[in-house]
Amino acid sequence: MRLSDLLGADVVDEAGNSAGHVHDVRLVQDGPLVGAFGASLRVDGLIVGRRSIGARLGYERGQMRGPLPVKLVTGWLYHDGRYVAWDRVRAVEEDRILISGSADDLPQPGPSS
Amino acid sequence: MSGRVLEAGLHLLDRQLIDVDGRLAGKVDDLELELPPGGGPPVVTAILSGPGALSRRLGGRLGAWLEAAANRLRDGDEDRPARVSFAVVKRIESAVDLSVAKRELETNRLEAWTREHLIGHLPGAGDAPE
Repeated sequence: MRLSDLLGADVVDEAGNSAGHVHDVRLVQDGPLVGAFGASLRVDGLIVGRRSIGARLGYERGQMRGPLPVKLVTGWLYHDGRYVAWDRVRAVEEDRILISGSADDLPQPGPSS
Repeated sequence: MSGRVLEAGLHLLDRQLIDVDGRLAGKVDDLELELPPGGGPPVVTAILSGPGALSRRLGGRLGAWLEAAANRLRDGDEDRPARVSFAVVKRIESAVDLSVAKRELETNRLEAWTREHLIGHLPGAGDAPE
């Protein structure tokens, strides 16, 4: 599997409702040891949203501080951003990821590093 | 969650690869993910770089053309993009630092092919520094 198989995929819950598309994939460095890098990067979850314009600027994760006008506009744009922990992923299909439960109970993505 | 937290698109994709001698060695165009044999979430095992990796992100006819061109430059029959194992990644900051020289990487093959088949035939090419 490649990262590009996940990015942009439509995330669909058990009822067939879309939670949006994958904007980014959160990684945590606590996997098995690998060479000089130390612990490998493990997939922790998916950052999902309905709007993709500027999604890679990082504003939907809440840790960006400014400029204020940009922050206000992007805060409005990405208020529906959600986080899908990997343990809720049931299947990765072509352009579609099936998750357990309902899209309505997904939390907002917290800040990364 | 105790380790460093990164977002693949924000903190890794399109970052520059720097080899052990400080030379530019390509960019992060995609990541290879593997499911551990014992179960659990996927783990990043390699950086994929070059036109063969970028083609899938581009998609469409341009992506298909780029992938076909990259496959023609590849040694052997295996259709896969150039791969940099995470075992040779030293550090991820604004760039990705590697612990090996560029010439040891698969990502170097397009440059090597260009040097051998095109640049090498130009008059005076033998006098050019490495």
